[in-house]
Amino acid sequence: MNQRIMLRHGDGGLLTNNLIRDIFYKYFDNEILTGYQDSAIFQMKAGRLAFTTDSFVVKPIFFPGGDIGKLAVCGTVNDLTSAGAVPLYLSAGFVIEEGFEIEKLDLIASSMSSICKKAGVKIVAGDTKVVEKGSADGIYINTSGIGKVHKFFNPRKITSGDEIILTGTVGEHGTAILLKRYELGLKGDFTSDCNPLSEIVSVLGDGIKHVKLMRDPTRGGVANALCEISDSYNIGAIIEEEKLQIRPAVKSVHELLGTDPLYFACEGRMILVVEKGFGTKILNCINMLDDCQNSQIIGKFDDLYSKVCVRTWLGGERILAILENQMISRIC
Amino acid sequence: MIEEDKLLIGKTVEKINKTITEDIRIMEICGTHTHQIARFGIKKILSPKIRLVSGPGCPVCVTEAGYIDALIKLLNYENVVVASFGDLLRVSGSCGNLEEQITLGKKVVTVYSPEDVLNLAQRRKGENIVFAAVGFETTAPLYAALIKMARKQKINNLFLLTSLKRMEPVIRFILEKGSVNFDAMLCPGHVAAITGTAPFLPITTVYNMPAVICGFEAMDIIASISILCRQLTGEVPVQLMNTYKRCVCDAGNTLALHLINEVFQISDANWRGIGIIIDSAFTINSDFEEYDALKKFNIEIQSSPNVFLNQCDCGKVLIGEKTPDMCVNFGRKCSPEHPIGPCMVSSEGACAAYYRYGGNKV
Ligand code: SF4
Repeated sequence: MNQRIMLRHGDGGLLTNNLIRDIFYKYFDNEILTGYQDSAIFQMKAGRLAFTTDSFVVKPIFFPGGDIGKLAVCGTVNDLTSAGAVPLYLSAGFVIEEGFEIEKLDLIASSMSSICKKAGVKIVAGDTKVVEKGSADGIYINTSGIGKVHKFFNPRKITSGDEIILTGTVGEHGTAILLKRYELGLKGDFTSDCNPLSEIVSVLGDGIKHVKLMRDPTRGGVANALCEISDSYNIGAIIEEEKLQIRPAVKSVHELLGTDPLYFACEGRMILVVEKGFGTKILNCINMLDDCQNSQIIGKFDDLYSKVCVRTWLGGERILAILENQMISRIC
Repeated sequence: MIEEDKLLIGKTVEKINKTITEDIRIMEICGTHTHQIARFGIKKILSPKIRLVSGPGCPVCVTEAGYIDALIKLLNYENVVVASFGDLLRVSGSCGNLEEQITLGKKVVTVYSPEDVLNLAQRRKGENIVFAAVGFETTAPLYAALIKMARKQKINNLFLLTSLKRMEPVIRFILEKGSVNFDAMLCPGHVAAITGTAPFLPITTVYNMPAVICGFEAMDIIASISILCRQLTGEVPVQLMNTYKRCVCDAGNTLALHLINEVFQISDANWRGIGIIIDSAFTINSDFEEYDALKKFNIEIQSSPNVFLNQCDCGKVLIGEKTPDMCVNFGRKCSPEHPIGPCMVSSEGACAAYYRYGGNKV
């Protein structure tokens, strides 16, 4: 096998076939994909479907706790999950820069494969393009996914008293990426929380009827996700700071940089808005999942407030405003 | 620990709120205090009779437009890379900001610490790195150390364009203004950790205004406000107190002061929205002039008084005359996404903290 991706790996000839066979089929092996059709053909049972797509460009490609491939699968799986769907099939499109090491591609494909197994999805269609050196930054991946929406999941209007559950700690993916990207050289355990959350739908079962909305707090983090929900339903919320779990290492980095972890991406957390009075019941179900053991009811929507507010540990309150810009480094 | 803090803070706040029966205004000089007060939601638990107003201690907010213009000008030189903290990127000069320069393909790199700059200079040997060295006494020693390190390592492609300000002259300036608009001062613990307590003494001895040197935890801030209130009500005499003894000693950090004195000299500075204040800057002295971007590229920083376009009230916010919400642009034309003035750019800025964390109104 050649050590690096060459333009010819993308021209559709022998090298392309080899690449697909030696890497993608090796890891994404399933009868739908390897059926040598131009389209994946599969049977679906009746019901509602969810369909989503996302492109992943991340720097660095490999980070503590994951890589671009894991992220691409988790991103799409979690988007489907937030639509109340059990993810079934994914497609994966790769844009690779000439000169990219094949060994790295192998690692990426292998981690995609193991996450797919964990999430119970199959990659059934794909595409590879190779672009000239300098026209891309290593590798970009697009994933699209299709899933079956739970019959009892009905997103609906949020009203005062609806409870907010967050399924784990805050801001770990964004922080891990930040530290790696800028080589800040801080010591400590900074690992991305990147993980597929597809089990949430199955573990909730019929209980999902009490869930009014789900949202994965990726870009812009927990803060932006909550602000967006509050904006679109025109209702404020109150979040208890003491219920937000922020790992001490993450907290200290943000204290140092003057940034707020609530605005940093999570790639393995879900926000669930639950009908008033059903928070604890839903929480108890979700807590059973390995990746959701730190779930908490972090607050509630409340029409006494016009915006999303945080009740601080000393009883004060502050507004969580939407942050359109990337968090920036602060002097001092 | 937190439970105990909470109890203690609750009791202290209760007492403060009971004793304060007339409106009082306390200025926190330091941007980090502004930020922390907002983050802890402190205004919400204090009686509405106590108003906390922000002072001129956010380094980004007091950076004049002419300085940004100079950085932009340097980007036109071949082989110049400007290294800057992120929050300076969106501060506007008289025509545009550094962020726009990035989109024009100019070489602007965001850094997170002075060490990053040293690494950058080592990595990009063929280019001239100009570091936008902005800050107060807190960051000045780090910049001095950076310059000395560059000399030691014989790095000759690193230059600093400084905009380094001193706290004492601006405090005097505000207190000597005809109409002082506040009754007590919360003094910056970070600065005092370097300078010691002496620069803050005149607040109490010359101007007879209650003052406390304060740390950045909720407990520090509440305890300091409590002392200020007791001084204001006459319960204890007006005198400079230090509630941040764990970091601040009277003599300051002699090592850091030594570094500052070795590398910098005292000069006049133009404060955005305020104007020229005598002796309020640190600039690179002649012993280290080979690291001074002004000398290397033979440029000057033009004072541009005309920065308050669009009725930005930054100048008044910075000296405590107005709270951010009194500015007509606040939250309408001016937000962290589209900042008009620098107070909205830096997360330490009074307007940004007020916007983000809600000020008095939740
Ligand atoms: S709200 Fe904007 S325009 Fe008004 S003082 Fe603050 S920064 Fe300046």
